[in-house]
Amino acid sequence: MTEEKAAPASGSILVVGGGISGLTTALEAAEVGYEVFIVEKNPYLGGRVAQLNQYFPKLCPPSCGLEINFRRIKDNPRIKVFTLAEVEKVDGTAGSYNVSIKLNPRFVNENCVACDDCVEVCPVDRNNEFNFNMDKTKAIYRPNEMSFPMRYVIDSSVCKGEECGKCIEACKYSAIDLNMAAKTINLTVGAIVWATGWVPYDATKIDNLGFGKYDNIVTNMMMERLAAPNGPTKGKILRPSDNKEPESIAFVQCAGSRDENHLPYCSYICCMASLKQATYVRERFADAKIYIFYIDIRTPGQRYEKFYKKIKEDENIFLIKGKVAEVSEDPGSKNITVVAENAVTGEKIKQEVDMVVLATGMQPATADTKLPTEDLQYSEDGFIVNDFDKGGMFAAGCANKPADVVTSNQNATGMALKAIQTMVKR
Amino acid sequence: MADKYLVEPDVNFVKEIVRLGGGDVKKCFQCATCSVVCPISPDNKPFPRKEMIAAQWGLKDKLVSNLDIWLCHQCGDCSTQCPRGANPGDVLGAIRSYAISEYAVPKWLAKAVNDPEKLPVLMLIPVVIFLVLGFITGLMNFSPGGEEIVHSNFFSSWLVDLIFVPLTVWVIAIFAMGLNRFIKDMHESAVREGKTNKSRVELAGFFQAFVRILPVILKHSKFTECSENKDRATAHLMVFYSFIGLFIVTNIFFVVLYVFQIHGPYSQLNPVKWLANISGIALVIGSALMIKNRMAKTTQSTSYKDWYLLGLVLGLGLTGMFTEMTRLAGAANLSYFMYFIHLVFVFNLFAYLPFSKLAHIVYRTVAMAYAEYANR
Repeated sequence: MTEEKAAPASGSILVVGGGISGLTTALEAAEVGYEVFIVEKNPYLGGRVAQLNQYFPKLCPPSCGLEINFRRIKDNPRIKVFTLAEVEKVDGTAGSYNVSIKLNPRFVNENCVACDDCVEVCPVDRNNEFNFNMDKTKAIYRPNEMSFPMRYVIDSSVCKGEECGKCIEACKYSAIDLNMAAKTINLTVGAIVWATGWVPYDATKIDNLGFGKYDNIVTNMMMERLAAPNGPTKGKILRPSDNKEPESIAFVQCAGSRDENHLPYCSYICCMASLKQATYVRERFADAKIYIFYIDIRTPGQRYEKFYKKIKEDENIFLIKGKVAEVSEDPGSKNITVVAENAVTGEKIKQEVDMVVLATGMQPATADTKLPTEDLQYSEDGFIVNDFDKGGMFAAGCANKPADVVTSNQNATGMALKAIQTMVKR
Repeated sequence: MADKYLVEPDVNFVKEIVRLGGGDVKKCFQCATCSVVCPISPDNKPFPRKEMIAAQWGLKDKLVSNLDIWLCHQCGDCSTQCPRGANPGDVLGAIRSYAISEYAVPKWLAKAVNDPEKLPVLMLIPVVIFLVLGFITGLMNFSPGGEEIVHSNFFSSWLVDLIFVPLTVWVIAIFAMGLNRFIKDMHESAVREGKTNKSRVELAGFFQAFVRILPVILKHSKFTECSENKDRATAHLMVFYSFIGLFIVTNIFFVVLYVFQIHGPYSQLNPVKWLANISGIALVIGSALMIKNRMAKTTQSTSYKDWYLLGLVLGLGLTGMFTEMTRLAGAANLSYFMYFIHLVFVFNLFAYLPFSKLAHIVYRTVAMAYAEYANR
């Protein structure tokens, strides 16, 4: 590509969602010369990937990939990031959209150096959603260890405000402003890429699997946080009821997935996620026994299949064909017994384990609340259906379908190109 | 499953299962949720997951002789929790219906009972038999007259028994032949699939097992273990006990008539009459409830076999009660007509018993007794 052809940019692109898909779309478009706005509702970028301990199948930490992307964003003057921001309204047509964006107050300005002095004096606790409420932060907090932007934020729903003001006194950099207010800005963009991502399916809806009822049943995303070095247990996998190191763990596949009563589709990632999490347990506890109950193990592609084969060789990992449909808790030991029929032997199995991980699936963020535009089509399950003939707006990554990080990135790159094509009218 | 097994799919069997109410059988993807959520499925070779795949594959021989299909009481817990909407409960119901036809002879009659187009013929058969025999023997009098309405003046008790006593023999004979094959097949399949530790069926032990499961049947305790369709148990119990009540009443009056030579109609103050009346009312209410439940329940499939039986039972109850009410009201002609229709219903229910869904009384009881005997 020559210099002359490099930047025929006219018009800018709005990327909604700063997870791995949104970051990729934004970077791909910006690095060929387009102006890009990233709108992220959380106070940090990185989305679900930021919550992971390791990627499959390479088992490397996601901090690595995210850091590179954050670096690229920092270095690229064409990218403007809005965190704590939400799209409120979209008007116009492909090539010229007028978007109003609500910027929620962070109460902490760019003077913040993340010194933690404010946290030490803050008297109020809040549930840490980033860790699925398994621990607490103060009302003023750093969203996570590698937050980008590296700035603290105040949760206004719990902060006592001016009457307390201890953090203001403690801050040596005048970084805290409790009077910050929400404001709305308007942007004119040529194309919009919705990378609104996914939420873990609400496991409390799966009545027969006991989540929320028994302490030692967690979800796969909670397991990621338990295994992550920056998680609530600093990477030690401990079961919630008594912080004991689990000697046995059962993974319940298709917890609410491929199920008409919950999510009718396959979420694509949960089999690989559980196989990956089995390695988390195995590397920490040499004798731990792992039971994976499945309908089918779905590890698409040669690399994932290879990963599965390797896991199968492990003598401490037992793969059982049969979905868990009943769980119970021993009130004394707080151990969980899972019940399934082994469809290969035709025997009912009642396996007692220290801890259970529900491999819950992905629900699109747009499943319940639709986006503020009439121009998008949704599937029955709430995923955005791309209409390439119409153009202008596109869904990338898990807003469009359940996908792993690799697929999301491929898809996101494609959507960057689609957005560019909208503007050059091709 | 480890054993070698030559799969011989019977496509027509699959089609029949679909027709008999198991229309969602092919949606099953073998997750085995059903086997776990079933409150009455055993731990060793639980049902109905394995029945679902056998039905999908058309493995008729594996299914008709399978005792597990009879241990299922169609609670519906499996169907509710099935992630695919494959409705295992309905599929097992369809397999049972098929198995009944399979063990009943003559085959053509079994076919006719399950065919809505043959219904008028089936209803007409008793009409013709009644009229022809009535005419030949002269035991039917179309102008009975008299002060009091006495049904036997119109349709002689002799005629009733001339028809129904041989019919009883025929029903017992058909069941005997069916059960002979059924028990043998069921035992062989149980041995093959490792569901029993008994090598042969001993009559004494089997009978003892039968006695042991009687309270289970009388209390419907298996039925009430279900959670989803618990409401169905009440209606079923009502119909069940009204049949028992009416059976007792019929036998007592049979003895009263032939031994003590006392002709009906009997006094309303007679305790046996009370039992008859209570049973009749329970039969009407119970079967009407069952029909209402079925109509309200969209999750459970209801096919012809179900409506046929429910229609017969309700018809039986209603015509019986009407016959009595019109008699007490003094509407002679109407009452005699009702009595005739009532007998047509009795004939239908009774003569076609080994072929209709009602045959589950026999097959389920035997299968439950066998399961008890075989330590299933």
